[in-house]
Amino acid sequence: MIQNQILKNTTTHPGLFMGFCLYLCLPVLLFLPFIPGVAGGKMKESKPALPKTVGLWTRPDSPRMVNTENIFDYMDGAGELYIGYCFDHLESYEYEAKSQKNILVELYFMKTSDDAFGLLSLDWGGESIDLGSSSLDKTASAESQWPRALYGEGLLRIWSDNIYARIMAYQETAESREAVLTLGRTAVKGRHNPPSPELLKHLPASFQPGWKLRTDRISYFRSYLVLNSIYYLSQENILDLNLETEALTALYEKKEFSQGLRNVRLLLVRYPDSDRAGEALLHFHRVYLPDHTFQKESASSGVTTNVFPVEDGWLGYALQNTTITFIFECPDRETAMDIMDRLR
Amino acid sequence: MTQKGKPLTRRDFLRGSLGATIGASLLGTKFLKAGQTTGASSLVTIVRNENAMDANNIVNPEVLKSMLDQTLIKFTGQNSTRDAWLSLVMPKDTIGLVSTTHLNPTHQEVVDAVKSSLIEAGIPEEKILNAQGGPEKPKACTALIALPALKAHWLTGLGTVMKIYILYSGKPSYYHQENNAKLGETWSLPFVKGKTRLVLVDALHPLCDKGPQPDPRYKWAYNGLIAGTDPVAVDTVSLHIIEEKRKAMRGEPWPLSPPPLCVEAADKDYGLGTSDWNNIKVEHYGWEEDLLLG
Repeated sequence: MIQNQILKNTTTHPGLFMGFCLYLCLPVLLFLPFIPGVAGGKMKESKPALPKTVGLWTRPDSPRMVNTENIFDYMDGAGELYIGYCFDHLESYEYEAKSQKNILVELYFMKTSDDAFGLLSLDWGGESIDLGSSSLDKTASAESQWPRALYGEGLLRIWSDNIYARIMAYQETAESREAVLTLGRTAVKGRHNPPSPELLKHLPASFQPGWKLRTDRISYFRSYLVLNSIYYLSQENILDLNLETEALTALYEKKEFSQGLRNVRLLLVRYPDSDRAGEALLHFHRVYLPDHTFQKESASSGVTTNVFPVEDGWLGYALQNTTITFIFECPDRETAMDIMDRLR
Repeated sequence: MTQKGKPLTRRDFLRGSLGATIGASLLGTKFLKAGQTTGASSLVTIVRNENAMDANNIVNPEVLKSMLDQTLIKFTGQNSTRDAWLSLVMPKDTIGLVSTTHLNPTHQEVVDAVKSSLIEAGIPEEKILNAQGGPEKPKACTALIALPALKAHWLTGLGTVMKIYILYSGKPSYYHQENNAKLGETWSLPFVKGKTRLVLVDALHPLCDKGPQPDPRYKWAYNGLIAGTDPVAVDTVSLHIIEEKRKAMRGEPWPLSPPPLCVEAADKDYGLGTSDWNNIKVEHYGWEEDLLLG
């Protein structure tokens, strides 16, 4: 009865209506930060509203919907890449024009922003594009700012919160470039820009003496197939990677007068718990280093650290809690030990 | 692909023990040493023309036809295109043309040029089939002409010659991961083995990075056709061009990853041809710029 009366009054008095809305919404607003997935900038994003027409191109009314069940029908073996990350679904539009080749728009809806970042991180090449005022991660320090959009020869790739987008003109022209960029700006409009994955904070910008991080060679992933496409370790999953783990790999470079540039490869894997991290290290050691003895952690530090000479230099690893750090292709034992120490 | 249950690793690859490792797990299969190796040098021809595509990468059919004619004559040593075809196929053959359909597909102009050329050589049109697809396709053919496009591949390193028959297995995803080195099996299936009369790689507009989806930054106008009858030799030359282009593009070593195990395994474990550069005779004709055979 009382509710009906309030409703009746609000429909005739706009001021009362606003107050009524506030009365209803206030409890929700107060508890909003405590709702899972909403706190910390994780609010559910609105879906990009792509224009029906852009320049000379027009899209169909509805996208082609692709999920884990039909992704291989859509893109053959390339589907392995996306299901190697926390993939939700893909919406694909083909924009057509009478006088120009098509523009393909693919919006990959991932389950986290980290996964969308990971897809972009597989290739940092191309021209960095600012698609809007918030298109750079302003919360990060200057040296760790990451491009949110990269363009090259007709292809625009975007990381926008939980969306990874590929917008590709089959033929680059002045008109198609403008249309691609317009579609990109529309796709990111009003969306949040969460920071890059927390795991990246474990990467020092440099090691002494003279080893510097190649920021254009940092990749974030969860699948051994993706790892193998960057740095081949084994044709099997010897690190027990899966969608619950997160990993990154990076190159450190050093200029040496006698030998030019030298690189070492760093690989960092974080597991859901320390037991699984320990099992993964044993698995790796058993398969990759069968000719070397596995030495357990020192009781005092709780850290397992080992270095070994192998065919392409010195290999080191360190297990600490849930994280294993590997270093490959070190020029000598001292460098491997030094880097492992500094990463702890 | 394991040796007593041990997966192949980077270290095996670095030690050069790839063949032994794979072979130990595969010796004894009926596919091994399938008998397409001659023991002599394998000839691979490369014919290029800088006008094969225009500035918008549109293929010029007339230039392409002349490149195909030159390829056939130079490769076979015959005096005419007709004689060249008839040294490779017989008029009574049912000929399947097998092209790449996904990720940097074979240009339709290349498929059309080959078909027209066969018809001009006296092969009835109804005897020329599109043979890309499931196992039923090669079963309907007595001869196959492989027409793969030149490209890198994110699961196999290289996705050109050895991968072209993957659908004939009826289980393509089986070869996607650690089993890519077993792609040689697809060439040794009973209804495929011995049927391939020519491998003609569409190297007009190759893709030198692995994808998995096409990125135009990694495509370039090579404007070439690569031909041979030894599929492994043709794939080895194709691989070399891709690797040289990657090196030139980045100005630093940029190895394919995963390593293209399927090429070396096709040689060492399936006996389909040679992956040894010293046993491959490469002849090139036409446009010399950025040949990428250094």
